[in-house]
Amino acid sequence: MKEENRDTTHFGYKTVESNQKESLVADVFHSVAAKYDIMNDFLSFGIHRLWKRQTIACSGVRKGHRVLDLAGGTGDLTAKFSQLVGDTGQVILGDINDSMLKVGRDKLRDLGLVNNIEYVQMNAQALPFPDNSLDVITIAFGLRNVTDKDEALRSMYRVLKPGGRLLVLEFSKTESEALSKLYDFYSFNILPNVGKLVANDSESYRYLAESIRMHPDQETLKSMMEDAGFEQTSYQNFTGGIVALHRGFKY
Amino acid sequence: MWVSVLTAVAEQAVNRLLTLEPNLASDLQSTAHKVLALTLTDLNLSCALHYNGKHCFVYGNYHDSADCHITTSLDCLGELKDPSQLTRLIRSGKLDLEGDLHLAQSYSKAFANLNIDWAEHLSRYLGDAGAEHLVSSVKQCANSAQLHSKSWQQVVTQLCQDELNVTVHPMELQQFKAQTRALSSQLAALEQRINALTD
Repeated sequence: MKEENRDTTHFGYKTVESNQKESLVADVFHSVAAKYDIMNDFLSFGIHRLWKRQTIACSGVRKGHRVLDLAGGTGDLTAKFSQLVGDTGQVILGDINDSMLKVGRDKLRDLGLVNNIEYVQMNAQALPFPDNSLDVITIAFGLRNVTDKDEALRSMYRVLKPGGRLLVLEFSKTESEALSKLYDFYSFNILPNVGKLVANDSESYRYLAESIRMHPDQETLKSMMEDAGFEQTSYQNFTGGIVALHRGFKY
Repeated sequence: MWVSVLTAVAEQAVNRLLTLEPNLASDLQSTAHKVLALTLTDLNLSCALHYNGKHCFVYGNYHDSADCHITTSLDCLGELKDPSQLTRLIRSGKLDLEGDLHLAQSYSKAFANLNIDWAEHLSRYLGDAGAEHLVSSVKQCANSAQLHSKSWQQVVTQLCQDELNVTVHPMELQQFKAQTRALSSQLAALEQRINALTD
């Protein structure tokens, strides 16, 4: 029984073999990559831009920093970080999904951001960087899709420089009961239908709603970060806890 | 979340100013890649400005380290436009500054020197004559609104002080303060006498 638990994980509400999750998540993001940005704006009413703004404000990114935007998708955060780190810094846009990386690369090149950005296909659980080599790591709306979150957090801790920080922007648990009911109705009734209508893909958006519910709540994620070695961990809720920004430091 | 909306609007506005007024970019060049944090005590609001040499980023709820950190109230914010007022405000305790004073002065000077040629920018859409007419009309309206607001302020003040008697005249307030001070010193003297007698 123990053996079985160790080899299975959640994919939305389904329980799947751990080694299957990566390819299932990959299928979801191959499917949504082309319309990812427009759907983000559409489904969050543009509020995701405010959540990302606050993440940048909390990142402490300065000139010369080496920043990893993990699960960076279409590069919203990378675009800002690239301007903040300047010519002497570097931003690495990392994603496990090559379709998302391609969309991100095209978008950032169209914006004229080419000098200090690298695009690397990578698995968050085994980051391809030496120990103590990055100043800041951000992972926005990506951690819940990672098969082994603890291993990913440990990997992030390993590659951060002492004094470096990790920022995890992720869907979380709502603070009020009324908002929770409204949010559930939106997630399970409206979101998949809008996904079907706009992107012709209701399953991916049903997975989005389910994966959010299966993701650890604020306090659990905070303790997971502490277990991975992060110090001074804290979080702030946005939009009533629909999204939370966790922050932790390596000393 | 409203702070993020405000800072997003402010960021758009500052970056628009940077394109409209090329002098602003050159004035801010010395501040490139430095962070100026501002805490407004009465609004309990912390924000920061980060200019990277091309764009300005405005952060809300900023609690990180900054090259210069100004703590002040909303009233004093307007006075920061004049760089020479900075040291006076610090001395009077209305403003607390930690870090690089020159950074604050550079920002203050850059925005004080701002002189946008609106007619020039609007002329692309309205033509030279139309833009000039619109700008001069707006200036006239602003001047007359300023004049009217002063006279209205006087009328309302007189009404409240003399007719309705709902506020006190500044001289009455001064007199009241002087009487309170006198009473307070008398009370202190009396307290001392009582203490001397009871010891």
